[in-house]
Amino acid sequence: MVDHGSRDGTFADQVRASPGGDKLTYCFSCGTCTATCPINWVEENYNPRRIIRLVMLGMKEQVLSDPVIWLCSACDICYRRCPQDIRISDVMKAIRDVAIQEGYEPTRAIAKVNERACAGCGMCIQACPYEAIELTSTWVTIQQTMRQRRAVPKVNKFLCQGCGICTATCPVSAISLTEVSDDTIVAQIRAFAEETGK
Amino acid sequence: MVDAARHPKVDVRTYTEVERVEGFVGNFKILLREKSRYVHADRCNGCGECAQVCPIEVPNYFDMHLAPRKAAYVPMSQSVPLIYNIDMDACIHCYKCVEACGKLEAIDFSIEDNLVWEDIGSVVVATGYDHFDPSVIPEYGYGRFPNVITAMEMERLNNSAGPTAGELIRPSDGASPKRLAIINCVGSRDKRFNPWCSNFCCMYAIKNAILLKQAHPDTNISIYYMDIRTPSKGYEEFYDRAREMGIRFIQGRPSLITEDPDTRNLFVHSENMDLGRTIELEYDMVMLNQAAVPQPDVDTVSSVLNISQSPGGWFMEYHPKLRPMDSPTDGIFLAGACQGVKDIPASVAQGSAAASRAGRVLHADEWEIEPTVAYVWEDRCVSAQDKKCGVCAKACPYNAIEVVQGQAAKVITAKCHGCGGCVAECPHNAITQLHFTDAQILAQIHALLGEKPEEKILAFRCHWCSYGGADLAGTSHFEYSSNERGLRMMCSARMDSDFIYEAFRLGAGAVLYSGCHEQDCHYITGQPVGARRADRLLKTFDKMGMTAGRFRIAWISAAEGDKYARVINEMQETLDSIPKQQLLEEIELLRPQMEKRARRMREVPQVEAAIEYADQLKVAVTEREVQ
Repeated sequence: MVDHGSRDGTFADQVRASPGGDKLTYCFSCGTCTATCPINWVEENYNPRRIIRLVMLGMKEQVLSDPVIWLCSACDICYRRCPQDIRISDVMKAIRDVAIQEGYEPTRAIAKVNERACAGCGMCIQACPYEAIELTSTWVTIQQTMRQRRAVPKVNKFLCQGCGICTATCPVSAISLTEVSDDTIVAQIRAFAEETGK
Repeated sequence: MVDAARHPKVDVRTYTEVERVEGFVGNFKILLREKSRYVHADRCNGCGECAQVCPIEVPNYFDMHLAPRKAAYVPMSQSVPLIYNIDMDACIHCYKCVEACGKLEAIDFSIEDNLVWEDIGSVVVATGYDHFDPSVIPEYGYGRFPNVITAMEMERLNNSAGPTAGELIRPSDGASPKRLAIINCVGSRDKRFNPWCSNFCCMYAIKNAILLKQAHPDTNISIYYMDIRTPSKGYEEFYDRAREMGIRFIQGRPSLITEDPDTRNLFVHSENMDLGRTIELEYDMVMLNQAAVPQPDVDTVSSVLNISQSPGGWFMEYHPKLRPMDSPTDGIFLAGACQGVKDIPASVAQGSAAASRAGRVLHADEWEIEPTVAYVWEDRCVSAQDKKCGVCAKACPYNAIEVVQGQAAKVITAKCHGCGGCVAECPHNAITQLHFTDAQILAQIHALLGEKPEEKILAFRCHWCSYGGADLAGTSHFEYSSNERGLRMMCSARMDSDFIYEAFRLGAGAVLYSGCHEQDCHYITGQPVGARRADRLLKTFDKMGMTAGRFRIAWISAAEGDKYARVINEMQETLDSIPKQQLLEEIELLRPQMEKRARRMREVPQVEAAIEYADQLKVAVTEREVQ
């Protein structure tokens, strides 16, 4: 049972005060976003309408610790169909911002740079739609006894949405997603090819 | 309708448009365009021979374009009067209809539109509403998928006088649908299109579902809804009956409709809120319950009749609660959905009310209006001196002032509601308001600021709201500063800048400029006129270097007695925070500027005399007290 003690009355205000969260209270729970969401097709626990309801109810711990809040890929199909003109991706981002402030870590796949393989060309920086990558000068261990100062891209784990555009762009395959590496995908394609016999 | 047409005292003019309306309550003159039907109304007996021989077929608008009609047609079978009409856009001039008509000689291609002026006493506007076109919502596929139909199309398909004689069929293959989905709130409660709730569609969906279920008990009907709204008498019971009959209600707004290209069946994607899961169900046919929207030509109608519109395009009523059937223009009344979406019982009630209001005008030999109307001093009006002005006409929310260059502005007394906006706006002080003349108000200001003006808070209040607010503060025993001195005017639009300058010239400690909230204004757009002026004054005083808070603007409703008391107390605090010597110095410093600005007010007739009288009275009272 949800009783008074399990709620945090300030949570909804906290989300509304974060950039993008101001339209949270417009939601009248029609369910269009949930029915639209392509992520909901594969992960039924991701229900944006329900997450907004929980935020409004003040279920802070339950919302922020739930890995599904990191799933929204900001495709904005729901925004185009929302009758209350709420940009749900912005609301999700506001919820994530609160989560980060409160010390919760993102649980989704993010891009990871293999510093030794990176040539420092910067193509990933241009490719990233979320401006999550920037070039930094770091000491890179090339061999056990050799370190070199190089310009290497650094991924901001809070901004990265895990879309994988950078991995596909990188000419030397030096950047990959933490949970879906190139090797995993190649292995999946091989397995599929073997099974279908082609 | 037929009864009305037969009534000896009712003159029904169909296929006629109102082109112009002139005059005022009880004395309107309207210009009517009786559109040509190309048929002599007195000769046509409605036999329909012309339609039978007509070779041209066009989609029938009355059947929502589901069936054809001829170019010689009657709009619908119950048309009043039952006279055939030639559709000139479609006609190929084969003249077969003329032959078929024969000796009656009713059809005449040379008939032109007839323009007639009529004298009328009052007008009831009942132009109704239109349907939202759902083809602009791409996810519902209306227009792309043949089996997605609108509520009106369903109405025609399910009507025994309709194109299918009441047989419900799918447009794609003519089969009888066994699974039907009704989707509510298509285009309404949707900020992308229309933010309002269309009021009757919930009941309409339930009605259609019940009718279909009665006619075809094996049909599986689902209604997709966000909220079911059944607030009137017997409505909730009707909703109960639908559920008892086995109609399925699914809470969740569909996000997408897809089609199987082979069977033309439809898949509705939505969330089922009770399960918290997304569902995809298959249907033979989908009905979209569209929003009600204003008629496409509301702008023309409002400019012809000079009635204003509320947000969204519905005609504006005089008062949303107390006078919902009156338009702000006297003698013009509103009935039905043109004023705002409403269902049949509400439309009938409003129609009857509007008719009786209109009848009251017709039976009156004299029409009583508020006596506080505006009056023009013709010799002072610059328009009479052939100069371009017209400021008063712009300020008038009722179009009651006519300005022709070369002649003095003319107030049509019957149209004037007495807000006084024109009086305050006139840059040459050429208009006054009876019972609220400049002389009377200035005399009051002089009397109120007679003694120790630097301690006084002069409060300008509007009759309808802030005066009521002050009254409520009194009757509720809310304590507020006794230094407040109140002055009543009909509207904040009447609060002339000159009054404020004069008050400060006399050394008033503080001045409150108060009135209704914008949406509560009793004179349509009176408050905005006042608000603009108050903002200008605030800036002027700021530039002059007046201490902030000595001139204050507050919009206070008649229910906000506590706010009135609070505002006055806050102003008293501001006054108390300024050291007395500093305040007196500031008043002296600003006096020449105030004098300069308020100077022209003295030119107004009667003002000097009234002020002199007020000052003498003050002296007399003081002397008596001394004795």
